[in-house]
Amino acid sequence: MALGFAIGVFGVLILFHAAYSTIQYRGLLKITEEEFSGPPFNVVIELSLGLVLCMWAALTVPGKFLSIHPDSEENRIVSLPANLDFMIFNHRGKVFPVEMDLKLKQ
Amino acid sequence: MVTKTEENQLNRLESQVDNGGSGAWEYLCLVRKLKLRRSDKVLKHGLSILNNPSKRSALGPEEWTLYEQVAVAAMDCQSLDVAKDCIKVLQKKFPDSKRVGRLEALLLEAKGSWELAEKAYSSLLEDNPLDQTIHKRRVAMAKAQGNIPGAIEWLNKYLEIFMADHDAWRELGEIYVSLQMYKQAAFCYEELILSQPTVPLYHLAYADVLYTLGGLENLQTAKKYYTSTIDLTGGKNTRALFGVCLCTSAIAQITKGKSKEEKEGAQVQSLAAKVLEKDYKQRAPDKLPQLTTALKSLTLSS
Repeated sequence: MALGFAIGVFGVLILFHAAYSTIQYRGLLKITEEEFSGPPFNVVIELSLGLVLCMWAALTVPGKFLSIHPDSEENRIVSLPANLDFMIFNHRGKVFPVEMDLKLKQ
Repeated sequence: MVTKTEENQLNRLESQVDNGGSGAWEYLCLVRKLKLRRSDKVLKHGLSILNNPSKRSALGPEEWTLYEQVAVAAMDCQSLDVAKDCIKVLQKKFPDSKRVGRLEALLLEAKGSWELAEKAYSSLLEDNPLDQTIHKRRVAMAKAQGNIPGAIEWLNKYLEIFMADHDAWRELGEIYVSLQMYKQAAFCYEELILSQPTVPLYHLAYADVLYTLGGLENLQTAKKYYTSTIDLTGGKNTRALFGVCLCTSAIAQITKGKSKEEKEGAQVQSLAAKVLEKDYKQRAPDKLPQLTTALKSLTLSS
């Protein structure tokens, strides 16, 4: 967990560094008056490395992912709620013996 | 809707609390959230919390919700004196509360004094004519007295005002099915499917009602809804698979002799039969020969 977090921070730092080098490269091109077609090759490699590290951290740090399928084993509907607003009390439970020690003490 | 994880959690908490462990308050909160009717356990464990003054004060303001929950559970278990004591405590704390007034009328209903309860509900309705729970209690009272047509009338009047209450539609559908008025029951289930289209149990119930009604159009619609149930449950609902097989053979029997253009009906039936056989082989292999003979007789008669 801490390792994932550290790698995530490291990946973000790499991305910032790549952005800074691209800006510097553009400044250099402005001096030599050339067209800016894209960042140099090693900055692209740095970018993809930062992407991989950040994605790995984003997937491992939050923890266990929950299923979103409605028919998966955890999410499937087992029963409907018992419709308690229409509950009636004159059912056969009246003849069950009542436990005698159930009383509300004041 | 109770999902499987919630059911597992509930069972775990229930066994833990039944064997004398802690966590009674979480169990009661879970029962209240899932709206289950476990009145004997709620009564036992709720009273164990309420009779223990330290645990009671640890609850803080939730104590009064617990009193209400225990009162209703006591009425369901016919321990009417426990219910009366709980209501007395609530009355002392909230003297002019409509919620406590509703509980008192509920107690009158549980005692069986229907006229007094009816009077209490009407007086509560005068102050608050749009209270949904009181209307529903009137329906429940009519049902409890055996006056099912009266219950249907009250419920229809209620649904004219509050059309979005899916619990009421479900109750009306079940009452119609118990009276074998299947056309009206089909209408109620249609309303339920409109409001909650992702619950496969409503599709299944609707398909059952249509299959019971019979007739070619109803059978075709029933088959569609059985297949939609299979879709929503990922093919695991045995009743829907059987329903598909039965509908296809019934449709084929009706259209015997007329031109049979559609062959995809037979495809769905054979797929469903295959899934059923696989399921039975896994879960109940000794019943497999009965299943295969039954399925063969279905396809032969079509």
